[in-house]
Amino acid sequence: MGAYLARRSLRMAVILIFASIAVFYSLRFAPGDPSGVTLNPLAREEVRAAYRRQLGLDKPIYTQYFVYVSNLVQGKLGVSLVNGAEIWDLFKEYGKNSLILGLAAVLVTHIIGIPLGIIAAAKRNSIIDQFATAVGVLGMGIPNFWLAVLLIFLFSSKLHWLPSAGCCEPRHLVMPTIVLAAEGTAVTMRMMRASMLEQISQDFVRTHRAKGLSEWTIIGRRVARAALIPVISVAGLRIGWLIGYTLIVETIFRWPGVGYLLVDAVIRRDYPVAQFFSLLLVFTVVVANLLADLAYGIADPRIRYE
Amino acid sequence: MSNRDTLASEPSKTAGALARHWANEEIVALRPGPGRLQSAWRALSKNKLTLAGCIIALIYILLGLFGPVLAPHDYARQDLMATFLKPGSPGHLLGTDNYGRDILSRLVVAIRVSLSIGFGITAISMIVGTLAGAIAGYYRGWADTIISGIIELTWGFPLILIAVILTGAFGPGLKAIVLAVGLINWAGFARIVRAEVISLREREFVQAAHAIGVSDGRILARHILPNCLAPALVMASNYVALAIIVEAGLSFLGMGAQPPLPSLGTMIAEGKNYMLLDHWVSTIPGVTIVIIVLALNLLGDGLRDILDPRLRRA
Repeated sequence: MGAYLARRSLRMAVILIFASIAVFYSLRFAPGDPSGVTLNPLAREEVRAAYRRQLGLDKPIYTQYFVYVSNLVQGKLGVSLVNGAEIWDLFKEYGKNSLILGLAAVLVTHIIGIPLGIIAAAKRNSIIDQFATAVGVLGMGIPNFWLAVLLIFLFSSKLHWLPSAGCCEPRHLVMPTIVLAAEGTAVTMRMMRASMLEQISQDFVRTHRAKGLSEWTIIGRRVARAALIPVISVAGLRIGWLIGYTLIVETIFRWPGVGYLLVDAVIRRDYPVAQFFSLLLVFTVVVANLLADLAYGIADPRIRYE
Repeated sequence: MSNRDTLASEPSKTAGALARHWANEEIVALRPGPGRLQSAWRALSKNKLTLAGCIIALIYILLGLFGPVLAPHDYARQDLMATFLKPGSPGHLLGTDNYGRDILSRLVVAIRVSLSIGFGITAISMIVGTLAGAIAGYYRGWADTIISGIIELTWGFPLILIAVILTGAFGPGLKAIVLAVGLINWAGFARIVRAEVISLREREFVQAAHAIGVSDGRILARHILPNCLAPALVMASNYVALAIIVEAGLSFLGMGAQPPLPSLGTMIAEGKNYMLLDHWVSTIPGVTIVIIVLALNLLGDGLRDILDPRLRRA
């Protein structure tokens, strides 16, 4: 386990170094430069050159990269080009909002998805099962931005129950959470159902039945626990997806989170902000994938790490 | 199999008849069975939902190919005297949008954009991924180390995040999306093909081909890759749907297709402010994308059932 962790951490570090170089270089590729963002469009070339020198953009890219990394390590994250805000402050505020939305979505996904999958499998071909299947197919088929448009139309424009955008009261959280959780709920439900059906036909279930355990004890305690393993492993992988969808959902509902900030920074060419939050999200995805692997091992003691 | 079943239900048959019958069955079994494609088609036509998915996908492909040529109007032409015409208006089958542009003409071009990205990039990444996976799995060694390393780097990364970062580099437009889909999705194909090849190369039929001196290239092309096709195809239909959703999503945010080029995402975004009175500007492209994504998902699920022998149960 220790050796496995060490090797995975090493690989993670390599991935992060590659990813940071890729992000750094690709943002330097961008047409135009930061002086076009902050300075007056009519500014003279000498002024632009001075500005670039001030930001260190006149140095070769690899030098800029090392300067950036050493600043990062010292905790100097820089400031936004657009409004001069400290990136560290942005991180604290927007990160908190993203965390709230993300946790809400993960909670809803599993609180609805797992029980629905268990019931659908236990009462196979019943009305509940058919309902669950329909939810699963629709949840995976409706793109989240279209679902958002429909929900905003229904709950904001027609019924006036919920605000169409904004932050940070619970009522602002309802629609973004539903939209962000929709696809994950569908996938979790389908996986849980398939995994349950696979487990139900196994020998240990027959043994439990022969022992005279009640059907709900067998389904709820024994089968569901065994069936959870593949669902957990996918849950970890899904964190990456969730982060991807966060960019779209937060932007639509103008929920001030990291996703909204990143999309906004990319559109406005606020490079320091785009760079830091790109790296932050990449880092989160990589760490989430590692944690998912470890959680898999805890859930299933048969898996040994070599 | 069915012969044996009918026999079992007729206990009056003698042991000799039984033996003769089984002997016949052996001969029957030696005859070449229906081809892979033929049996897949037979299974497909039995599975109604999968067939529906297949037909809908074909209709979309035809719409994307020929729709823009046959479109009644120029997709970019505005007519501010004829905005928000309802679907079914004379000359505008699906109505007009907020600039008086013909929705049908825009829709078929948007379908072409979606499908070009969905099918086009997925086809390329499937070819690249399959080759890379086959080389890594068949030759192992340093080639495997390098390819697996790159797979590890890219696989499992959220497509949308990469596309947004690349939009930062290239500016808004379809280029960043095409590049993101290509960069990420090949690894998915490479990953499953590699795993499949590793298990196949130890099998007897591959060893036998090796022993009689068949070249590596021929073994890969004739004996190994055909066996990897099933999982790759299942993955492909899901990846096409994913690419279509990502393209539409980023276009919805204004980071994808740039005006005047229509995309399902931009059409939904433009119409969303008029949902209360003129909902069709948004609902028509919205329903269009839901149908194609559902069809591709059904197709993928069905293909998995049909092509994966492990799931093929009596």
